[in-house]
Amino acid sequence: MFGIETRFLTKKYKDKTAVDQMNITVNEGELFALLGVNGAGKTTAIRMLTCLCRPTSGECYIMGKNCLTESNEVKKLVGISTQETAVAENLTVCENIRMFCGIYGYSQEKTVRVTDKMISLFNMEDVKDQRAGTLSGGWKRKLSITLALIGEPKVLFLDEPTLGLDVLARREMWKIVRALKGKITIILTTHYMDEAQELADRIAIMANGKVMALGTLCELESLSGEKGLENSFIRIVGGGK
Amino acid sequence: MRKKAFSVRIFKEIIRDPLSYIFCLGFPLIMLVVMTLINDSIPQETGMTIFRIDDLAGAIAVFGLTFIMLFVCLTAAKDRLGAFLVRLYATPMRSGDFIVGYTLPAFLLAALQTVITFAVSEAVSLFTKVELHLGGLALAAVSLFPTMIMFISLGLLSGTLFSEKAAPGLCSVIISLSSFLGGVWFDADRTGGVLLKISKALPFYHSVKVARLASALEFEGFGKHFLITVVWAAAFTTAAVFVFKVKMRADIK
Repeated sequence: MFGIETRFLTKKYKDKTAVDQMNITVNEGELFALLGVNGAGKTTAIRMLTCLCRPTSGECYIMGKNCLTESNEVKKLVGISTQETAVAENLTVCENIRMFCGIYGYSQEKTVRVTDKMISLFNMEDVKDQRAGTLSGGWKRKLSITLALIGEPKVLFLDEPTLGLDVLARREMWKIVRALKGKITIILTTHYMDEAQELADRIAIMANGKVMALGTLCELESLSGEKGLENSFIRIVGGGK
Repeated sequence: MRKKAFSVRIFKEIIRDPLSYIFCLGFPLIMLVVMTLINDSIPQETGMTIFRIDDLAGAIAVFGLTFIMLFVCLTAAKDRLGAFLVRLYATPMRSGDFIVGYTLPAFLLAALQTVITFAVSEAVSLFTKVELHLGGLALAAVSLFPTMIMFISLGLLSGTLFSEKAAPGLCSVIISLSSFLGGVWFDADRTGGVLLKISKALPFYHSVKVARLASALEFEGFGKHFLITVVWAAAFTTAAVFVFKVKMRADIK
């Protein structure tokens, strides 16, 4: 069974096609990066895979469950950290975690256990009683990813998790993502080529809603005839311009 | 469980906002004291009792509930503006969880606000030497339950339909209309004509009547006014649930 499978997945908004006949398969435990310039269709693809929007045509599956017809099942299998750091600003870090434990129906005992585990896993001891709204960008991102993991997802979607972070915070985030690698399926969207190169097992390059190329770094390099992901990306998306 | 988790969050969001104390408690209580002072300046021979604490207490309790509406509206509109609600859509949360999550904490806060308003009214009555029935105030607090639900639903409806910028403006209009047409600051029955007809056609007049009649332990006409507030509460709740569900479905289209 694939962690993710899409078959001719398409999303149209009036006359604009945001995602055009996307066909990808992602293996369980794989870290798969979606690269593309702004408006390439990465976030729309993630929204369809997390049941946040309906495809115009085509199908998508999470662990074999259809995102359209089995959305309640799919929602139990996925976790998402959106581009904007979506946390409850007036709640503390601990309260945010406890709220998500409640949403996933955890018992009091499990809530305490999960909260302690997450605080320790993400080294958030110093900020655990701080309100989320007062946290720095890096801490907010960390909390956002923590919340995405509370439902013990089989598939985790990280939509530009390091956007706007300083270099140290980015490296810290990489460490977290690396620690999760292999345990769950991860879809990562990013604008940073070094990030995808460093973390991803396979990479899909999107432009104008279409998957232009898909493969490992070596495969993309040989396909484009260029060295390095950035050069390959420019060649594939821009046609060498 | 999901409902409880979301309710706790909404409760904390509201009580941690300093503005909620100013508007939901401070402002109605200040109005209570100010209007009592104004009442002292009104010559007795005018026969005007609208600002006397026994008339004022129930009306101010209804007035205070309009600010609960404002905060529900602001919370719902803010949630919709950010990515937080969208993120929750990707969890097992259902529309019913959200609706109960917004309503339940607001209802608790509304009940608490009403109790505090009546407690302060009781204290004011000791100074003004106007008798207030404790039993009447307790009955008024319970009789206002449908009105509480009505204002919370109105807040949820406005917060769901309008943006964070537009929704508070709309709520301000409802606050002004409800206090004006509801007869909070004057005796609506004395206006007559079209104005009274409009007042009676809207729910606010009946809410104020329910609070005033119950606090005075006067039961003539109470049942009719109470029933009307129940019907309005049911209508607004149905509308809020329907609109929230439609909007949620539209958000994930």
